[in-house]
Amino acid sequence: MLTKIELLNHTFKSPILVASGTFGYGDEVAGLIDVNQLGGIITKSVTLEPREGNAPPRIAETSAGMLNSIGLANLGVEKYCHTKLPQLNKLETKVIINIAGFGIDDYVKTLQILENHDGNHAGYEINISCPNVKSGGMQFGVDAVMTESLTSEMRKHTNKLLILKLSPNVTKIEDIAMAAEAGGADMISAINTVVGMGINIHNRKPVLNTVFGGLSGPAIKPIALANVHKIYKAVSVPIIGIGGISTAEDVIEFIMAGADLVQVGTSNFKDPSIGLKITKGLEPLCKTLEVTNIHDLKGTLEYY
Amino acid sequence: MVNEVASVISNYEIASNYWQAILKAPEISRMAKPGQFINILPIKNWPKMMRRPMSIASNEHENISIIYKVVGEGTQYISDWKEGSKVDIIGPLGNTWPEFNDEYPILIGGGVGIAPILYLQDKFSSEGIKHHLIMGAKTGSEHFLEHSPDDGLLLTTDDGTIGIKGTVIRALEAIFHTPSDIRNYRICACGPSPMLNAIKQFASDYSIECFVALETMMACGFGICQGCSIEREQNSDAGSSYRKKYSLACIDGPVFQTNEIKNC
Ligand SMILES: Cc1cc2nc3c(=O)[nH]c(=O)nc-3n(C[C@H](O)[C@H](O)[C@H](O)COP(=O)(O)OP(=O)(O)OC[C@H]3O[C@@H](n4cnc5c(N)ncnc54)[C@H](O)[C@@H]3O)c2cc1C
Ligand SMILES: Cc1cc2nc3c(=O)[nH]c(=O)nc-3n(C[C@H](O)[C@H](O)[C@H](O)COP(=O)(O)O)c2cc1C
Ligand code: FES
Repeated sequence: MLTKIELLNHTFKSPILVASGTFGYGDEVAGLIDVNQLGGIITKSVTLEPREGNAPPRIAETSAGMLNSIGLANLGVEKYCHTKLPQLNKLETKVIINIAGFGIDDYVKTLQILENHDGNHAGYEINISCPNVKSGGMQFGVDAVMTESLTSEMRKHTNKLLILKLSPNVTKIEDIAMAAEAGGADMISAINTVVGMGINIHNRKPVLNTVFGGLSGPAIKPIALANVHKIYKAVSVPIIGIGGISTAEDVIEFIMAGADLVQVGTSNFKDPSIGLKITKGLEPLCKTLEVTNIHDLKGTLEYY
Repeated sequence: MVNEVASVISNYEIASNYWQAILKAPEISRMAKPGQFINILPIKNWPKMMRRPMSIASNEHENISIIYKVVGEGTQYISDWKEGSKVDIIGPLGNTWPEFNDEYPILIGGGVGIAPILYLQDKFSSEGIKHHLIMGAKTGSEHFLEHSPDDGLLLTTDDGTIGIKGTVIRALEAIFHTPSDIRNYRICACGPSPMLNAIKQFASDYSIECFVALETMMACGFGICQGCSIEREQNSDAGSSYRKKYSLACIDGPVFQTNEIKNC
C-alpha cells in the first residue's frame, strides 16, 4: 500500500485523519461514510466537566473558510467514557481522544479517568489553545514553560500516544514545539484555528457572539504549512499537519513540508466523505511522484 | 440520514422570487418526515464551506421538493438547476413536528417559512384532519396559494393586496375572534424570527400549545460542529451541563415547542 504509514509502533491505514470538532465521535456520520477506511479519527475535545459552550452566534462563513467560537461544548469525560468510548472501541481505525482543560489538574484528571476505562484508543491529542485559569487565563499554548509542564505531567499518566496540538497564535511556534518535545510528547499536531473576526455592517455587530473566534478552512492553509515547516525544522518527533486541507495535493504539500500524517477539518462539513476521496486521490499522486510509500515524501522540500 | 445524488425533476419560480425545485431522491424520500430538512451542495465545486439547508416542502413517490427564495450566492446557484441536473444532498435531517391526537392544527408560514408547513399540511389533508393554514407575505405577488377562508386557508399581506391586510397575527386573531367550539388549538409555525416571536407571545397570551421550526447558521447539519445553538428557556441550574442551556437546532430541532426556548 502506497499510503499506509508505520509510525511509533502504530499502523495508520492512510495518512488522513479527521480533526477534532469536525467529525464528532464517529457515530454521527455512520450513515454517510465508512469511518474505518480513514487513517484515524480525533474526537471532539472532551473536558473534565460537561460544557454548554458559548452563546450564539457561534459560526460564520468567510472567504474560503469559517469562523467558530463553539466554546468547547461537550458532554464531559464521565459521560464520554460511558456513551462514546464503547462505540469508539468497535472502530477499526485509530482513535485519538482530544482533551482540553483549564488548569493542569483538569487535563490530568480527565486523562486519568480515560485511562481507567477500557479503551482501544491509540492515544491522546492535547488541545492547549485553552486559557489556564490559574495563570490569569493565559493560554497554555502561548507559553513554552506552561506547555512543557503540562506535557511532562500528562506523560506520567499514560503510555499511549501523547500528541500536543499547537496554536498558531504565538510569536514563535518552534519554541512551543520544542517545549512539548522536551516534556515527552510523542508527536506534535499543528495547527489549531487562527484568531479572526468578522463584522455585520448592517447591525454593527461582530459575526460571532464572542467577537473573536477561530478561523479554519482553506483560508489558513498557507499559515498552517508555514507553521508545520517551522516545527519540522525545530523538533525530531513526528508531526501531524492540520489546516485547510481539502485535496490530495494539499496533503502532499504538508508531507513535503515535514508532516507524517495530516488531519482534515472544516472540509468535512461540506463533504463528509472528503477524507476518503482524498485518500483515493493519493495513490495516483504517489505514482506520479514516483515514491513507493507516501512517507518517503516527508520533508523532501527542496529550497532554492 | 444519507448522502444522496438527487436529480432535478423541475425548478421554477412559483411566485415573485419564490422558487420550487422538485428532486428525485428515493432514499431521502423514503425516510423523510414533515419538519425535516436537507443540506444542499448548490453546485459541484461550491467554493464556500457550508452547505445550504432547506426544509422539505413535499414528499411523494420518491420526489421531495424545496421552496426557496434567492437571497445570495447559494440560492442563486440553486435557481440555476436545470431539469436532469444532479445535486448532492444530505438528509433527511432534524426532528419532526409533534404527534397530533385530537389537537386542532393551526399552521402558519411566513414567507419561505411556508415550506415545512406545506409538508405538514399535506399529511393532515391526506389523513382528512381538519386544520387552518395561514400564509403571510409582504405583497400579493409573493403568494402562490388562494385566499379561501371558507376552507380554512387565510392569506395575509403587509400591503393588503391579497387576503387580510397585516401580519399573520391578524389572521390568528380572526380565527380566535370567530365563535367556535374548538378548545384545543395547537399552532405550528415557521418564518422570520420577529413573526415567530409574535406568535410565541400570542400563543402564551391565549394559552395555546405552539411549535416552531427555527433557522440558524449550520455548518454540518447533523450534530457535529455545535454551531447551531438555540438558547433554552429552562437554564437556571445549568451549572455544568451539556445541551441543557443550549439545544442544537439541527438535531434537537429545527422544531421546538415555544415554551422550551428563549427566543425564536
Ligand atoms: C433548517 C433550515 C431550513 C431552511 N429552510 C429554508 C427553506 O425551506 N427555504 C428557504 O428559502 N430558506 C431556508 N433556509 C434558509 C437558507 O438556508 C438560507 O436562505 C440559505 O442558506 C442562504 O444561502 P445563500 O448562499 O443564498 O445566501 P448567503 O449569501 O449565504 O446569505 C444570505 C442570508 O441567508 C442567511 N444564511 C446563510 N447561510 C445560512 C445557513 N446555513 N442557515 C441559515 N441561514 C443562512 C444569511 O445569514 C443571510 O442572511 C433554511 C435554513 C435552515 C437552517
Ligand atoms: C467547528 C469547529 C470546532 C472545532 N473544535 C475543536 C476542538 O474541540 N478541539 C480542537 O483541538 N480543535 C477544534 N477545532 C480545530 C480543528 O480541529 C482544526 O485544528 C482547525 O479547524 C484547522 O483545520 P481545518 O482548516 O482543516 O479545519 C475545531 C474547528 C472547527 C471548525
Ligand atoms: S449544524 Fe452542526 S451541530 Fe448543528
